Amino acid sequence: MSEPVVTPLGEDWYLVDDGERRWRVAVAGAGDTQWVFVNGQVATVEIPTPGRRRRKGGDGGVMSPMPATVVAIRVAPGQAVAAGDTLIVLEAMKMELPIRAPRDGVVKTVACAKGDLVPPGVNLLEFE
Amino acid sequence: MSRIRRLLIANRGEIAVRIMRACRELGIETVAVYSDADAEAPHVRAADRAVHLGAAPARDSYLDGRKVIAAALSAGADAIHPGYGFLSERAHFAKACDEAGLVFVGPPASSLERMGSKIGARRLMVEAGVPVVPGETPADQSDGSLAAAIARVGFPALIKPSAGGGGIGMKVVRTAADVGEALAAARREATASFGDGTLYVERLIERPRHVEIQVFADAHGNVVHLFERECSAQRRHQKMVEESPCPALSPAVRQAMGQAAVAAARAVNYRNAGTCEFLLEGEGEAARFYFLEMNTRLQVEHPVTECVVGVDLVHAQLAVAGGAALPFTQDSLSQRGHAIECRIYAEDPAQGFIPQAGRLLLYREPQGPGIRVDSGVAAGTMVSVYYDPMLAKLIVWGETREVARLRALAALRDFAVLGIHTNIPFLLQLLEHEQFIAATIDTGFLDREGAALAAASVTELPAAALAAVAEYRRTAQHSGTPGTLGTDPFLTLGVWRV
Repeated sequence: MSEPVVTPLGEDWYLVDDGERRWRVAVAGAGDTQWVFVNGQVATVEIPTPGRRRRKGGDGGVMSPMPATVVAIRVAPGQAVAAGDTLIVLEAMKMELPIRAPRDGVVKTVACAKGDLVPPGVNLLEFE
Repeated sequence: MSRIRRLLIANRGEIAVRIMRACRELGIETVAVYSDADAEAPHVRAADRAVHLGAAPARDSYLDGRKVIAAALSAGADAIHPGYGFLSERAHFAKACDEAGLVFVGPPASSLERMGSKIGARRLMVEAGVPVVPGETPADQSDGSLAAAIARVGFPALIKPSAGGGGIGMKVVRTAADVGEALAAARREATASFGDGTLYVERLIERPRHVEIQVFADAHGNVVHLFERECSAQRRHQKMVEESPCPALSPAVRQAMGQAAVAAARAVNYRNAGTCEFLLEGEGEAARFYFLEMNTRLQVEHPVTECVVGVDLVHAQLAVAGGAALPFTQDSLSQRGHAIECRIYAEDPAQGFIPQAGRLLLYREPQGPGIRVDSGVAAGTMVSVYYDPMLAKLIVWGETREVARLRALAALRDFAVLGIHTNIPFLLQLLEHEQFIAATIDTGFLDREGAALAAASVTELPAAALAAVAEYRRTAQHSGTPGTLGTDPFLTLGVWRV
C-alpha cells in the first residue's frame, strides 16, 4: 500500500488518500489519547508519551493493545530480555505492530500462539 | 386566556432548544432555567433571559416546582412550557402554575390526575370504549371461576398474583388443559411470597409492537389525532428508533386507533398535545390494539409526526395554550412519506450501554435534504451524569420507508461526536438489520438481539484513520509534546478501541 496522503481540512478534519480511495477523518483530543472518527465509527487511540508508563497492562505482563493477529513470537519461556526488545509481532489494519518489552526481565510464559486472533486487553506474555 | 408573550421553558437539553426555536419564530420571548451543571449549556445560550435554579441534581433544580414558578414570576413570564420528563406530568405543578397566574402549556391538572393513575385510567378507558388488554381479578377465586375468567380473556393467558410483582408466581397458560396445574402453582407461589393467594388473569400479548397515536385538543371542544408512531425499537423500555407510518397498520386499523385515541382524550377532557400508547398484536387487517397509557405531554419523538403530517406541534401547543382554536382540523391532516427518528445517546454499546460523561471534543451534525437534528449539545459541552443521556435526535424524512432508512444511515455515518462514546455505531447496525429492513421488530427485539448488535458494531477502522491521527499529533498545538512521535507513531500505538 502506498503512503497515505493527509490533507488538513481545518477544524480537526482531514482528507486522507490511501491510494485507493479518500476518507474524511476527524481527530480530537490532547495528550496521549486521541479520538478519531471516520464514517460513523469512532475509536480512541492511546499513544503514550515516552518516559511515562503505559496506563494499561501491569508490570507482570504484556497486553494486546487492539484486535490483531499474532504473526510472530520472538521469545521463549525462560529467555532474558531487555527493555525495548521485540517480544511479539501483531498485525492489524494491514500493518505490523511490534510488542516490545516494557522493562528488563525474564519471560515466564507465552500466552498466545502464531496465528491467534487476539482481542484488545488480553495478556500475551508474562514476565518473571 | 390570551396570547403568550414571554415563556419560561422548565427543561433543558434538546427539547428546551426546540421550544425556544418555535418561540423565536412566533415572536415570543424566552426564559431559560438552569442548574449549576448547565450554566454554559446551549439551551441557556439560546434564551433571551436565563434564571439559575440551584445545584446540579434535578431535585434541587429542574424538579423543584417552587423554584421554577418563582423564576417565572421574577422573569416576568406569563406561561411555562414543561417539555417532557421533569415536571411535565405532575398535576400539582400544573395546579401551582394556575394558582400563580401562569399558563401551563399542557393539559389541565384534572386530566393529568385522571391519566396519572394506571388503574383509574384503565377503568375510564373501558367506560369510553377504548380497548384495553383483557384482564380481571374474579371475586370468586375458585378454580372453576378462575378457569372461566381465563376463557373470557382468551389464550394465551397470564396468571399473576394480585398482590405481586417482579414476575414471581406468573404462569403462562396456552391451552385449557394447562389451567388447573398453573392455577395451583401460581396460588402456592403467591401465598408463599406475598401472603395472599388472590390471582389476576389477563391476555398475554406476545411479541407486541408499541404503536402510539398523537392527539391534540383545544379549549373549544376540538379533538383530533395526528396518526401513529411506531416505537417498538426500545431497550429496557427506553426508545431508540421511532418511525411513522407504522408498516404494520392497515388503513382500517389506523383509523380505529385514531378514533380510540380521540375517545380517550375526550374521556378526560384533554387539552393540548398528548399521546395514547397502544400495544399492537399481529399486523394488517387482523391486528388488534390495546390501550397502555396516555402520555400527557409533548413526546420526545414528536418530530416524526411533524415531518410526516407537515405541522409544527410546538406552535400548535403555544397557540392552544394561549386560548386559540387548533390550527388544523381532522380532515386537513394526512400522512405523506416516511420519517425515522434515531435517538443519539451518550452510552457505550460496546460496554453494555454504560452512560458516558465527559466533554465533547468535536461535534458535527449531518446536513442535507430531509435531515433534521434536534440537539442540546455543541462542541465543548460537558456531558454530565446528572441527566438523561440523550444528546440529540436525528430525524429524517423520505418519500418511502426505504428512502428514509438509507438517508438515516448516510446521516448517521456523517454524525461526528468525539470525546465520549455514543450509540451511533449501534444504530448503524440496527438500521441495517434484516428485521428492521423487513419492519418486523417487536418490543422485545432489542433486549433479545441488542448484545449481538453491539458486538457487531465494533468494527475495524481503515488505516487512513491512523494516518490522520499521526498528522494531528505532528502539529504541536494538539499534542503538547512536539516531535516526540513524528518518527513512527504506528510502532508505539496503544489501545485502539472502536
